[in-house]
Amino acid sequence: MGEQAFKLWKDWRLHVIVLAIVAVTESIGTFAIPVGPGTILLLPMLYAVVIGLGLYFTPLVTDKQSINAEPLVFLSVSILIAKFGVQAGPALPQIIEAGPALLLQEFGNLGTILLALPLAVFLGLKRESIGMTHSIGREANLALITDKYGLSSPEGRGVMAMYIFGTVFGSIFIGLISGFLATVTPLHPISFAMATGVGSGSMAAASLGPLIAAFPEMSETLTAFSGVSNLISSVTGLYMSIFIGLPLTVKLYEILSKNKEKKAVKGSVDYDKKS
Amino acid sequence: MIKSLKEWILVFMIIGFIMLIGNWIGYDILPWDALPGIAILIGISLAGLIIHRLLPFKLPSIAYIGIIGLVLTIPGMPGAAQIVTYTTEVTLLSIATPILAYAGVSIGRSWFDFVQLGWKTIVIGMVVLLGTFLGSAVIAEIILRFQGII
Repeated sequence: MGEQAFKLWKDWRLHVIVLAIVAVTESIGTFAIPVGPGTILLLPMLYAVVIGLGLYFTPLVTDKQSINAEPLVFLSVSILIAKFGVQAGPALPQIIEAGPALLLQEFGNLGTILLALPLAVFLGLKRESIGMTHSIGREANLALITDKYGLSSPEGRGVMAMYIFGTVFGSIFIGLISGFLATVTPLHPISFAMATGVGSGSMAAASLGPLIAAFPEMSETLTAFSGVSNLISSVTGLYMSIFIGLPLTVKLYEILSKNKEKKAVKGSVDYDKKS
Repeated sequence: MIKSLKEWILVFMIIGFIMLIGNWIGYDILPWDALPGIAILIGISLAGLIIHRLLPFKLPSIAYIGIIGLVLTIPGMPGAAQIVTYTTEVTLLSIATPILAYAGVSIGRSWFDFVQLGWKTIVIGMVVLLGTFLGSAVIAEIILRFQGII
């Protein structure tokens, strides 16, 4: 903290760059690319993250701008959350009706464990896979793993890798797939709107954008559900990881890696020497 | 607190200005039409940040911001309809673009760490995001259908 943390508004270079990115990307507008039965929507916000990233490697952006931009992401996300809130009020009766779904969809996070953990073990990752796949790997999960195993443990390296991946690539990836999945699968857009709330604020923005662009007539409902889901995740998500996600991942990892060891022992005579 | 407050207000004015311009260029809503809406959203954000500072619990500040916005716009609250009318002028997509522009500039520093990750991490990372996203949607779908809502 200290001096530097209190001078964000003075970084004119950064704000002018962002204003320029916004002006350029909003003028370009939205493109829809049909892929099979679905559509991938390219929205200004997706160009914005790519251009912003690219500018880091030009002299226009120095480390100072990049460091200052981080708290600015948080502050601008808070305006998004306020927007989520004011959309949610009018939809309150609808949201209360869907309450159980909103609470229980937190269990969907476990989908990650069932899908990604076997893959990680299959690819030969060891205890790193616990940190990588116990959750979506955002700030709260990074804190949890650091607290339990330490950041330099294999689990810590795993969650750190996922955190970095999600930070750099998360909003682009999820922004590309959300509209596509909503148009290609039989699932209802409201279900996807709830799913947009599971990650970070910028991931929520990136995945909700294509949804409301694909279903503009439902935009208010989708925003309301995304917002409430985000709210519930921010309060309950960590506990979900502590009490269910992480213990389940550790258990499943032990089962999977035992099977793998047995196979490995059978399959290779060098196995004992190597380990 | 006072120092943070001044900082927050100045930063919100800058971000708000950028959002108004994006809202104008991308969605043809004139800045003065969207000005009351963005001012309300900034007010709610500020209130949430201040409450977060003042209260001793460890709830994230976005929880307060979301709840304030929700409570203010519950049908029947005085002024709720006005707030909804004004904030509708600020499109969600025009709020999202500057967020991701700042995020882009900020994540440049993580790029080299990202490059070092290796292909396995990238494959697993995509499956983790896909699994969480699809898992949540599938469970929401099952329960909403069970309840007969969709």
